[in-house]
Amino acid sequence: MSKKKRSSFYIILAVAILIAAIGIISIFSSTYRKEGKMWQVIYKRQILWVSLGLVIFLLVSNLNYRVFWVLTYFLYALSLAFLLLVFIFGAVRLGAQRWLRIAWFNFQPSELAKLIMVIFLARYFSSKSIRDIVLSTSHFGIFRGIILPLLFISVPAILIAEQPDLGSAIMIFLIFFALLYLSLVKIKYISVFLVILVLLTPLSWLVLRDYQKERLLVFLNPNIDPLGAGYTVIQSKIAIGSGGFFGKGWLSGTQSQLHFLPESHTDFIFATFAEEWGFLGCAVLLALYCLLIYQGILIGQRTNDYFARFLAFGISLMLCIQVFINISMNLGLAPVVGLPLPLMSYGGSSVLVTFIALGILANIDKTRAVF
Amino acid sequence: MGFDAHEFAAIGMRTKTVIWGIFFIFAALATGLLNLQVIHGKSYRALSDKNCIRLLPQLGARGRIVDTTGEVIVDNKLAYDALYIPQTGGIEQTIANVSSVLGISPAELKNIIRKNMAGPSVAVVLAKDIGLKKAIALEEIKIDSPGIMVQQRPVRHYPYESLGCHVFGYVNEIDRWRLTKLSDYGYKTKDLVGFGGIEEKYDYYLREEEGGVSFLVDHVGRFVRLLGYREAVSGKDVQLTLNLKAQKIIEDNLKGHKGSVIVLEPYSGAIVAMASYPDFSPSSFTEHRTAEISRVVRDADSPLLNRAISGIYPAGSVFKIIVSCAGLETKKINLNTSFSCAGGTYIGKQEFSCWDTHGQQSLIPAIAHSCNVFFYKTGIMLGSGTIHDYAVKFGLSRPVPLELPYEASGFVPSAVWRRIYKFKSWYAGDTANLSIGQGDLLVTPLQMARMISVFANGGNLVAPYIVKEVEGKTFNRAKRPVSLGLKETTIEYIREGLRLAVSDPKGTASVLSGLPLQAAGKTGTAQAPPGQTHAWFAGFFPFQKPKYVLCVFLERGGPGYAASVIARHIIEAFIQEGLL
Repeated sequence: MSKKKRSSFYIILAVAILIAAIGIISIFSSTYRKEGKMWQVIYKRQILWVSLGLVIFLLVSNLNYRVFWVLTYFLYALSLAFLLLVFIFGAVRLGAQRWLRIAWFNFQPSELAKLIMVIFLARYFSSKSIRDIVLSTSHFGIFRGIILPLLFISVPAILIAEQPDLGSAIMIFLIFFALLYLSLVKIKYISVFLVILVLLTPLSWLVLRDYQKERLLVFLNPNIDPLGAGYTVIQSKIAIGSGGFFGKGWLSGTQSQLHFLPESHTDFIFATFAEEWGFLGCAVLLALYCLLIYQGILIGQRTNDYFARFLAFGISLMLCIQVFINISMNLGLAPVVGLPLPLMSYGGSSVLVTFIALGILANIDKTRAVF
Repeated sequence: MGFDAHEFAAIGMRTKTVIWGIFFIFAALATGLLNLQVIHGKSYRALSDKNCIRLLPQLGARGRIVDTTGEVIVDNKLAYDALYIPQTGGIEQTIANVSSVLGISPAELKNIIRKNMAGPSVAVVLAKDIGLKKAIALEEIKIDSPGIMVQQRPVRHYPYESLGCHVFGYVNEIDRWRLTKLSDYGYKTKDLVGFGGIEEKYDYYLREEEGGVSFLVDHVGRFVRLLGYREAVSGKDVQLTLNLKAQKIIEDNLKGHKGSVIVLEPYSGAIVAMASYPDFSPSSFTEHRTAEISRVVRDADSPLLNRAISGIYPAGSVFKIIVSCAGLETKKINLNTSFSCAGGTYIGKQEFSCWDTHGQQSLIPAIAHSCNVFFYKTGIMLGSGTIHDYAVKFGLSRPVPLELPYEASGFVPSAVWRRIYKFKSWYAGDTANLSIGQGDLLVTPLQMARMISVFANGGNLVAPYIVKEVEGKTFNRAKRPVSLGLKETTIEYIREGLRLAVSDPKGTASVLSGLPLQAAGKTGTAQAPPGQTHAWFAGFFPFQKPKYVLCVFLERGGPGYAASVIARHIIEAFIQEGLL
């Protein structure tokens, strides 16, 4: 290879640790004034998750990513099995059931399913024609290019939407669409697909659950439900806005600490952070995320293996979309759909899966020299 | 390894677009932040500092539960809560005033405010359900006590007290387990949710939606402008198939006896009445009578348990109906088959006794007299596998499922189960025990009522249900009665046996004879050492055109005779009340 050998490993590691650390101090800040032992251990648990995540990151970064190419269909089946398990138990137990209890760990399969769908799509779109040098995607018709992969990802996506975890389901479709564009499927097919999607949007109203409709309506006008779903959005906006340019300072946020802001350590952790660190802190945080995601794209551009390339693009896009939806939701610019902020929100499943994804990125970069 | 040049360029171009997209996304987020934090930062800071937003919840009423005729059994009434909004000044004055009205010490009031404060703009509940008098008194001192408010709140009201408590369940503050499951459906801490019965299973429909207003106030707490309003929505009423009159009758007759009574319509499976005793008072939960609650929860007789569906007991002789049916269907016995009862019989070396010496018995008299020897021998001829299969066919060892939570499955033993789970062999003696409904067999009273209804309606296994409709929507039309495919003669012979049990002076249910109508049924005396036997009666009336299936079960209530006596009282009351 004539290219200068560059490595993103340390950048990824450093940025991930920084973001996770920011997350932990924000979680601490959002919970430390709350009464009850349960709240006091949350940040410690997050430290544990992040440490575990780092170990997994190091392991995965030393595991040849082609393993995922080999295991794609197995992983696909595995994620379906997990989702079905959740679905079965969820049906029995009334409410939203996104978690599977595995030993002592409440595991959220939809998080893992997102990553597995990225792997699946990467393999699907990187399939080569007989000559083994050109991508077959550019010759794909509408069936092989769009309908078939769409069917494949729809099954898990529908199971996830049924949990109900609308945010993750939408994410899978967005990643699909982005990868569709990146692989060489003809633009005219993508356009047809988009048009159909737009036409079908009104129909989705019929399958949404009541509370999901409510959240969408509340998104349009938070004041129709000031005490319920709208409350969170109103309080989140006040929290972020009141941070101003410099912020109120760590542990000085009043919105997030005085119970004003629900979910202040999970989906709305960004609001907690923004209140205390202001626009300055947010700009740094956004820059960190941007750097992380850009590294992913760079890694994708550097590799010569199509599977690795799509995998790297997919992972970067997954992070990007998740960051975008979560922060927009915090800012009141997107409906509340319940997606964690990668590496920052409290929650083991999300942290671990993100570290696995970053580990794959690091390995793609490392393995590049082999080809 | 190389890229096709054209392809490489195409991918590169599309990648560039995506990179621009990503930068655009981040730019958009930064702009949003800039707008919120820098441009509007000051006004949001003001909102957060002064917390000028006030929130006042408005509560809707929980859906009512009505019987089949529309009579309200579980209702709502208005309760008055004293609220305090911490934001306004003059806290000392207010607390002093309120303390004298409510009879709570100022120190305790301060403690309540400190503990429950969710923010200066959110009202704190000082005292719940203070009663109309105190509410009026509070309204009068309102002007001198800034921040104080009286709020009306609909609460559960039980006009018939504990009537049907096991069917309806009760409402209480949500527990942790339910909260984690239901928080995505808008359930919050301190919400009232149903526990047990219809209240739990239909909480989604019964549940009211909290409304409220949010408005802006100035720094001294004066109203500036309305920010938002959301109307409170009351829950939906649930109509049951239960008949209030019938329910009263069976509860009056069961009172004082541990056990349960079920009345259902034999053709549809609609439950007309369902009672369990000991009972509890659901109002003790709404009125927070803690002493009573802890007594109910700790009681060894578990008053919260709905024995009709969640209690599992040996079936005793009632089970002989299934054995008879299996015998006739598999042609192992017919009407002329007879066995001699000498007060007992030997199976292997072990003696199995009968409760009387019946002499020569054929099927119909054997049912009427509940002769053990006849069924030991029939059972041995059938084998435990066939009996197991027929028991399962009649709906045993699985829930119906009824629209009530915590329904038990019961259990039908088999040789395979014994081998796998107990590492023991199955002996002929076990088959004999199973034939008379003893041994490891366990059933719920509802399963027995369901089983006997097959002979009331001429061969269909109904799926009992209790919810008629919720706001005009019906839920149970999908589960139609299923034909068991029994021969007409089988049903006819067993019905004859059930009739004879009542009309024959020596029949086990002969206490039911002499009524203005002909009843039919089977008693059971199930041994469950240590302690007294369980008493069973399962039957239907009138014999020719059955209108009701009746199952009476008395836990440790003595012989089947005791259950038959209660059955007689119930039927008499039904006739008197004009329910037939």
